[in-house]
Amino acid sequence: MDIFLQLIITGFMVGSIYALVALGWTLIYKSSGVLNLAMGELTLIGAYVSYTFYMWKIPFPLAVVFTLIIGVILGLLTERIFLRPLIGEPTLTVIMVTVGLSFFFRGLIFLFFNTDTLVFTPPVFPSEPVRLGNVVIGQVYIWSFIAALVLLAVFVIFFQRTRWGLAIQATADDEMAALSLGVSAKFVYAAAWAIAFMAAGVGGTLLGNINGINISIGYLGLLVLPAVVIGGLNSVPGAIVGGIIIGVLQNLAGGYLDPLTIAGFKVFPGGVKDIFPYVVMTIMLLVKPYGLWGWIRIERV
Amino acid sequence: MATMRLPSGTYHQTYQQDQAWWQTRFVWLRMIGLLFILLVFIPLWMPVLFPDIGLYVVSVANLIGYTILSAMGVQLLIGYAGQLTLGHSAFIAVGGYTSAICMLMFGIPYPITIILAALTAGLWSMLFGLPSVRVKGYYLIMTTMAAQFITVDFIITQYVAQIGGRGQAFSIPPGTITFGPIEIDNDIKVYYLMIALVIACMVFVGNLLRTRVGRAWLAIRDNDIAAEVLGVNVVRYKLAAYFVGGALGGIAGSFWITSIYAVSPEHFTWSWSLWVVGVILIGGVGSLYGTVFGAMFMTLVPEILRFAVAPLQPVFPQLMTNFQFLKESVFGLSIVLFLLYEPKGLAYRWWQIKNYLHLWPFSY
Repeated sequence: MDIFLQLIITGFMVGSIYALVALGWTLIYKSSGVLNLAMGELTLIGAYVSYTFYMWKIPFPLAVVFTLIIGVILGLLTERIFLRPLIGEPTLTVIMVTVGLSFFFRGLIFLFFNTDTLVFTPPVFPSEPVRLGNVVIGQVYIWSFIAALVLLAVFVIFFQRTRWGLAIQATADDEMAALSLGVSAKFVYAAAWAIAFMAAGVGGTLLGNINGINISIGYLGLLVLPAVVIGGLNSVPGAIVGGIIIGVLQNLAGGYLDPLTIAGFKVFPGGVKDIFPYVVMTIMLLVKPYGLWGWIRIERV
Repeated sequence: MATMRLPSGTYHQTYQQDQAWWQTRFVWLRMIGLLFILLVFIPLWMPVLFPDIGLYVVSVANLIGYTILSAMGVQLLIGYAGQLTLGHSAFIAVGGYTSAICMLMFGIPYPITIILAALTAGLWSMLFGLPSVRVKGYYLIMTTMAAQFITVDFIITQYVAQIGGRGQAFSIPPGTITFGPIEIDNDIKVYYLMIALVIACMVFVGNLLRTRVGRAWLAIRDNDIAAEVLGVNVVRYKLAAYFVGGALGGIAGSFWITSIYAVSPEHFTWSWSLWVVGVILIGGVGSLYGTVFGAMFMTLVPEILRFAVAPLQPVFPQLMTNFQFLKESVFGLSIVLFLLYEPKGLAYRWWQIKNYLHLWPFSY
């Protein structure tokens, strides 16, 4: 039972990071209809940028702030250069542009950083684990959880309370109506990309603190896709819940399915943890394609 | 080939004439010339005339052939049947492993394993095509992605690759891959196998697209609801498209093991799936020639790049040591630039050039 609780709690905390990245993803999808497959690379960029700042002896909180600023700049540039000319183009074109961007970003990152695993030295968070009863949790998880929660809260307040946030919400809700009421679509798209870069950057930094920085961060960043499918592609609360569900499920799969033996025969040789979210996603697509809170599309000829 | 302009005085009187691939004598001559270059000049004369680069050219040609075979199934699925797929290297992997296992464990001759590989990969692809009945567009992309991760990163890496306790890679001992009495043991023989497979697949797909099945696929691509209303059995034809697309991938996988005598899950990454989609985008979606152009572009550009950055090595040693990543970033950038500035791909540009030269220099 303790193990179960521990898996759930750790999964919940990692899931909050996924939720953060998934929020950025959904924002782009909702406001501009772009299915962004470069999300893994955005997290990679965030991880490497904050690592570089941290290695320049900049205190960690400040390094995160700089990562956010770089994220905004990169997001605005990406949107302006690559995505804006493609407004209104067919699905495949837009998706493949993000795929091209993902290759481009990943290639550039590893051209300069090599593929070795990098570790934040000295460690940002103390390695002493915290004990809650019989449950043992690494401090890095707790701090990541807090950071992710703070950012999620900031984003939610931004959407609910500020003029810009409301503009983004309005565009996501009904683009034509928002445009006719004077909301600038250009601004909204640019803001969506900037926020996605920021969220992914912080997500990558936190993930990099947990496991070290290497190419696997990119694959973790890609986990937002199962997360948003579970939540429904165009639902912001769905993305957050989906991210947490994916984190918990992934941990449970790693804890229970990996060592599963039936009659002395090891059922799964390994690697269940990595693909389990995709299995869940496939089942979800077969059973309930539009997720928990997604909009059901009705198509007319 | 209805878009072709005919020389004056040439008229079509039957449907067969209108649908023929090579419609004029000039095209016949050109194609025979192309076949001569492909079958004689590159494999036989190049190594003799240019001893230092001839074999290199042949090996690059083999890589192009593999890319064409890999991208053909994707072209069929995306370009003709309209089913977006981002997990095609799963089916290439299934083909490669089927072929290798059949040869190593059951001693089945290589030509038969190609067919077995195509069938297995086709059926496997059909399994992952099932969700296409319910979902399309974005959601379909997600399922094909899941196909990639479930097949390659889990089933093949964890189970299939462990068969026989070989660890990760299956190596194929020399002398296993034979075509009748001929053992395929050097690049030139691989080249001939590649040409045979590419031409066979091109002819097969090209002809398939001119049949009822092909027209049904085009209808589904253009608007699946309208196609259904007009009496096309959408489910059956979508699954057929997945079967044929996967089977072509299987053939590509089966060819792959001849060129490096080994098969490992690392050869079939998600990047390769994306790469082949990029190939058809650069070449031109919905054009068989486009597949060839795209494959040539995407193979030749990195090779040229390799020569171009070699002099820079003393200054930026990373460019050579991390060439793989330089290649990836150039590939990504070229996809983006093509989509932004040449969205119809190289095939369209080729068509424009042909039309321009058609009545040159007195075009109207």
